[in-house]
Amino acid sequence: MSMLKEIQKSLFKKKATVLYPFKEREKVHIPEGLRGKIVFDREKCTGCLLCSRFCPSGACEIVVDEKGKRPIFHLELCLFCAQCQEVCPKGAIKLTEEFELAAFDKKAFTIR
Amino acid sequence: MQKEELRSEDKKSSYELFFDIPVGPQHPALKEPAFFKFKVEGERVIGVDADVSYNHRGIEKALEQRNYIQNIYLIERICGICNVAHTLCYAQAVEQIHGKEIPPRANYIRLMIEELARIHSHTLWLGVAAHEIGFDTLFMYVWRDREVVMDLIEMLTGNRVTTAINTIGGVRRDVSDEAKYKVKKGMDILEERLKYYKKVAINDPTINARCSGVGILKPRDAIKLCAVGPTLRASGIKNDVRADDPYALHDEVPFNVITYDTMDVLARVLVRVDETLESVNMVRYCVDHMPSGEVKIKLPLSPPIGESVSRVEAPRGELIHYARSNGTNKPERYKVRTPTFENIPSVCEMLTSKNGYEVNIADIPITLASIDPCFSCTARMEFRDVSKGKTWIWSLEELKAHCKKKGI
Amino acid sequence: MYPLLELLQILIFPGILFAIFLAFIYEWLDRKIYAKFQNRVGPLYTGPMGILQPFADFVKLLAKEDIVPNDVDKPLFNILPIFALTLSLTGFLALPIISLKGIISFNGDLIFLIVLMTLICIVVIYAGVSSSNRFSTVGAERAALQLLGYEIPMMLSVVSVGIMANSMWIYEIVSIQSNTFWFLIGPGILGFAIFIICGQAELERIPFDIPEAETEIVAGWLTEFSGRKFALFRLTRNVELLYLSGLAVTLFLGGPSGPIILGLEPILYPIYFLIKTLFVLFLLTTLRALFARLRIDQMVNFSWKYLIPIAILHILFVRVIF
Repeated sequence: MSMLKEIQKSLFKKKATVLYPFKEREKVHIPEGLRGKIVFDREKCTGCLLCSRFCPSGACEIVVDEKGKRPIFHLELCLFCAQCQEVCPKGAIKLTEEFELAAFDKKAFTIR
Repeated sequence: MQKEELRSEDKKSSYELFFDIPVGPQHPALKEPAFFKFKVEGERVIGVDADVSYNHRGIEKALEQRNYIQNIYLIERICGICNVAHTLCYAQAVEQIHGKEIPPRANYIRLMIEELARIHSHTLWLGVAAHEIGFDTLFMYVWRDREVVMDLIEMLTGNRVTTAINTIGGVRRDVSDEAKYKVKKGMDILEERLKYYKKVAINDPTINARCSGVGILKPRDAIKLCAVGPTLRASGIKNDVRADDPYALHDEVPFNVITYDTMDVLARVLVRVDETLESVNMVRYCVDHMPSGEVKIKLPLSPPIGESVSRVEAPRGELIHYARSNGTNKPERYKVRTPTFENIPSVCEMLTSKNGYEVNIADIPITLASIDPCFSCTARMEFRDVSKGKTWIWSLEELKAHCKKKGI
Repeated sequence: MYPLLELLQILIFPGILFAIFLAFIYEWLDRKIYAKFQNRVGPLYTGPMGILQPFADFVKLLAKEDIVPNDVDKPLFNILPIFALTLSLTGFLALPIISLKGIISFNGDLIFLIVLMTLICIVVIYAGVSSSNRFSTVGAERAALQLLGYEIPMMLSVVSVGIMANSMWIYEIVSIQSNTFWFLIGPGILGFAIFIICGQAELERIPFDIPEAETEIVAGWLTEFSGRKFALFRLTRNVELLYLSGLAVTLFLGGPSGPIILGLEPILYPIYFLIKTLFVLFLLTTLRALFARLRIDQMVNFSWKYLIPIAILHILFVRVIF
């Protein structure tokens, strides 16, 4: 019974639910510095391999191409801990605030 | 043949006075896999048999195969809700081997995030407990207001749940002045709402009917069965790692250890609500008194040879981590003792009727929930033969027999 | 009366089809108001404002696999859902909606309605026992205990109305109320309160959802029912919700009567009926949002210590006045 006043109030209050994916998308507040999708700047990379050494989940695979050893990021394995961003000496790796990463194609999860 | 035997056994048991009610591994009252077999007579629970080893993930072995930095992110996945407590405990253990102190600002940020996580965990628990007794309105309201603290954690650390803020040698992110202002505003909202929920918990007749006098754990039993955390404090015993063995500047930030002496589920509700209010004040203190300076010191990847134990008061109780280093960049042995595992004997005690203390089937969910169980960290060991691809679990007797055979 | 018209009345309006249609709408409203109380949005996407959600749930359940476990009492297990739905629909036919008389109307039909309500609860007990599941058995046991708790005060409150109108015929009760402009709401308000509380228990809704307490005994007596059978039981619950709020309106709030423009009764009566039942539904939903689930011993205790003495006193009071 002690919540009677509260539920009466909520009859006239705005609902707390955000109708996220279909409507009111703009209401989802994304703070600065959210750890989301990885962006990799291939030009800055020097091939020091620190990212792959510290990646806890093995999401950072090393391949050899014309420039030498370079990482490929597999988002399906990624934990979004931002450790790679922290250790990268050249600042080539950055975690953006993009968080809607669902895709039909597995290729969309590979960042080169 | 076997099936028929089983069926005839079932038919026989349906005429008996007692029968078993299985709660788990899949049951609406449990959010994680555990199995409790209740022997009941009508509505009355007579005995309970617990099996909590359903989800062994081999975390301790995995920790030995990754380096110290990678382990931070593995260790926070032991438990999603108390991830801050786990990383804090891990970072402290490793720093202890290094023998280095971290800067005071880092300690303040650690403490602040830890207390924010405690608010998040306790409000989550309050909602779950309301749901267990069928009070869905309270559940919805509490979880709505919990969003405030989730948003603050997201703003400060970059993620809602897995914060990844603690690292070896400090914290990974600094707190800006704007963020401090937002935290203080959020704390004001939370304080008002939590005081309201405390009033509801004390005054509502149905909550009182369902929670008071249920799940009694006497102080003597609590100590004998090694209860920890809010479960122990609700039995009237003043025990809190933050006060008894202060870490991360808990000796500088003032707070009260909350105890209630009614020993029942309502006491556990009130202990948690009051603790959340204490945490709100601690976060405010941290914001006001945060010193300036570095937030991180650089430590080498490989600590020297040594071992250490560190204790943290996680939202569910005392958490102990043990680390042994052999000088390489991977720990030689790592051991985690989680609070839920310690509380299992106590919850079995609470759920057994004896000497005029009656437990009903209806009391099972709320009593189980009252220790704030997190069963994913309770599976302690299993055996695996890699060559045969076989996995099995030994009971204590089987293990003893095996040791005797091998002469260990 | 013309037999064809009567058949149409029973089958379509205000009979079975209308009842089922209204039951879906009322479930939607119940969910929507409950959500509003909890600051949520409730069903949203199926149809405008989610109005088709209960219907969609029903159709989905009809399409699901219907599992009959090996050890159940098969004849009982198969027939009970149909039996329950039939009982609740029959009860609905006796309620006056388009005129002051229900489709089924005879002297003493109030007793018939009471029997129907108890029979639905007996079906629930049978359903639990026939499932031969441990949770179902506990649920059935609780349903039986709960029946002992709420049935007596409910009957007493219904009988108090009979005493006030000096009749056990719904037609007479309603017409007396319409002539004297709902005189029952004054002295009958206590009876109305008791009826609403017991109705909540009959419908197995919070705080009396003890026989199907989700977190305690999975789904109680409903545990083993799946697919079509579960759909029918859900529909039964919805029709029963409608039926109980309709009965409360008929007995305490003057049924379909209200200010009348001559010649427009067949249109105005259902509208009044709907408005009044919506009010009762709102009350029922408010009760549901306000409480935690009680334990079965507490429920029976509450009923025998408070509800039944109050109901008896109420009867005495009514007998003295009328």
